[in-house]
Amino acid sequence: MDLMRTDSAPALPGSPREHLTSDTTRAALRVQHVMLDAARAYLTEQGCTEVLLPIIGPVTDPGARGAKQVDVDYYGHRYKLMTSAILYKQAALTTFDRIFCIAPNVRLEPLETANTSRHLAEFHQIDVELSGASRTEAMAVAEGAVRAMARRVVETARPELDVLGRDPDAFIDLLGERFEARTHAQAVDDLAEIGHQQNPDAEIDWQGEALLSAKASRPFFVTDYPKGSRGFYDREDPERPGTLRNFDLLAPEGYGELASGGEREHAYGAIIARMRETGENPAKYRWYLDMVREGIPASAGFGLGLQRVTRYITGVDHAWQTVAFPKVPGVVAP
Amino acid sequence: MSTLHAGGFPEAVVRDRARRGTAAVFPDRAEYGHALLGAVPEPTPPDVLDAAQLVPPVFMPQRLEKLIDLAREPLHSDVDLATEVGGFRAALPLYLSAFGSTQVASVNLGAAAARQAGELGIPMVVGENVVPVNGYGRLDDAGGRGLRGRITAYADSVADGVGGVAVQQSTEDADAEVWNLVYSDPSALPLLETGRLAFELKVGQGAKPGLGGMTVVESATADRLAEQFAMEPVFGEDADRVLRCASPGTFTEEILRQQIRLMRNNFPRAKAWVKLHPGRDIAHAAAVAWAAGADAVTVDGAEGGTGWAPTAFLGGVGLPLAECLRRIGVPAGCLMVTGRVWEGLRAAKCLAAGARATGLGRAALIAVHEDPERGLVRLVEALALELRLLVSAMGKYRPGELDAQDLWHPEGWDTTVNLGREPMISVPGRETP
Repeated sequence: MDLMRTDSAPALPGSPREHLTSDTTRAALRVQHVMLDAARAYLTEQGCTEVLLPIIGPVTDPGARGAKQVDVDYYGHRYKLMTSAILYKQAALTTFDRIFCIAPNVRLEPLETANTSRHLAEFHQIDVELSGASRTEAMAVAEGAVRAMARRVVETARPELDVLGRDPDAFIDLLGERFEARTHAQAVDDLAEIGHQQNPDAEIDWQGEALLSAKASRPFFVTDYPKGSRGFYDREDPERPGTLRNFDLLAPEGYGELASGGEREHAYGAIIARMRETGENPAKYRWYLDMVREGIPASAGFGLGLQRVTRYITGVDHAWQTVAFPKVPGVVAP
Repeated sequence: MSTLHAGGFPEAVVRDRARRGTAAVFPDRAEYGHALLGAVPEPTPPDVLDAAQLVPPVFMPQRLEKLIDLAREPLHSDVDLATEVGGFRAALPLYLSAFGSTQVASVNLGAAAARQAGELGIPMVVGENVVPVNGYGRLDDAGGRGLRGRITAYADSVADGVGGVAVQQSTEDADAEVWNLVYSDPSALPLLETGRLAFELKVGQGAKPGLGGMTVVESATADRLAEQFAMEPVFGEDADRVLRCASPGTFTEEILRQQIRLMRNNFPRAKAWVKLHPGRDIAHAAAVAWAAGADAVTVDGAEGGTGWAPTAFLGGVGLPLAECLRRIGVPAGCLMVTGRVWEGLRAAKCLAAGARATGLGRAALIAVHEDPERGLVRLVEALALELRLLVSAMGKYRPGELDAQDLWHPEGWDTTVNLGREPMISVPGRETP
């Protein structure tokens, strides 16, 4: 779907009133409400405490590819709106061992993303961070969260799925079978086999993700991304330099990436070196580095794009259809 | 107009070319038929490139190739100077170097140079520290002084299919997210969509290798910039100006490799350029950059630079451009160099020594200062005529065909690393040996 099919919904939202009063919007937001309820319950069962994290700070996640951060004049100091809560998630593990947050993020994505159907300038992530956890454990929690959300929707939101034209049978494999994982290198090979040239040093490009995604019947993981493709906080595999102990979770049916996560760098020297490798100036990360120098727990975690998961579960064409007041990159909207 | 001087640079002749263009390529026309014009020895050759000579062969198989192609004897006007430069199509093997945020470049000259570079169809590099110091020009009031003003001036005047803009980012610029800003900005979209946007990772400074950018700013400006840059009261505690120092940034082989990969990952539609200072490991650094996927490596010889630098660095730090070229040898990718280039001879020597294109820095600034409307165009027209003359004199008709065989130096140009090929052409009806 998506990149492969003719869209039935308009490419951009109508007026705020048209959008807010449409049956599609109402049904999608109702499904999202059910999903959030299920995610909170599941993560609480997993021993996580919900912690509300900052919206602005002196520094934010630099890892969003090609997206501009939003500057805020904070009493004469340049602050940033959060592109993700990653730094605060790591720091908050000094309070609780396992945390989650439904975090608002703003990323001024490149204008070309206006047509991908899955990028929004303003969105939310279900952010999870687990002290002492391995990548495998974080992947299991991400899988569990998606399954819990889908199960609750199938069980309690059938009328909304009917309005949206989404067949609940689409989730039979998701609910019944474990998510598979393949490495980034395998994904590059798989794409080469179907004639798509993917840069082996970079993230899977959007078309490549859509191609892999279109061939799947339930979500799946891609692991072991190369170092040059991610932010400084994804942990480099000590056994395999240049490879990260991280993962993406991709939806089936062409919906593409849902989540990114992995084990985190937490050693001071390694973080500084990785900051330079990603072109960052350590000077602006002072508060974070001060905490790291004194010690933060080893951890693994992930950020699950709420609107993207909602889009997948509701089967709507565009991520903006899952937001009450959507902001498509480059489009001026309230 | 304010004054602009370039000490140690042949300013007067550059200004003459900015006024008279191709007419200035030749001796005074009034002397024609009266004066005996032979070799005029320079007082003291200032560097190895100046001491080197271009040496045409007697036998010219590539001229024969061109003759066959044209079915008439080729002339210098048959030289096609169009070249691929860092992933762009350039009308000439030239580019406009970044001027930095120095006072001289900030006062309208930057935009004038950008407009003329666009008209000429040569790539333009902009931006070192321009955004942190002058702003971008979107919500701020930087207007044409800001980065956006320069990009727009260029884009408005460049023809379809040629040229391109490379936007620099140094360690301090990274705080201002210059690349992210440009990549998502509507005004840069026409360049991005036509494959004419590059990002240049600034690893070092030509005029002050090993240091970061330096400019002299008013104390009032210093307060605004204090969160990003170190301010040093080198002119006295009470002076109204202070020295603004940017950190040079730390690079290792792995840091450079990963930064380039991240550029390609984050900005897949932009070309990736890397600017190196003339360090002693220049060949190694350039090789790492190309292997990591850089579309171009630009090298500022120690002779270059438009910004403020300590005199110790201007006089005695960094490899001369000629030595950079010698150490790099045959480049494994697109190599672009700057360093006191303002006319065709030095440019042609650089091309013969391995460069794909040469940059105009100070010469371009002086030219637009002399005539903001046409100065750079005339300077480049003169340079282009010389290039055509010189390239054709080697029996070649594309600048990329120049190689180290065309270069002679009293102490020997190290051709062991740059063995030019003997061109083998097949002439219809005749066996090639």
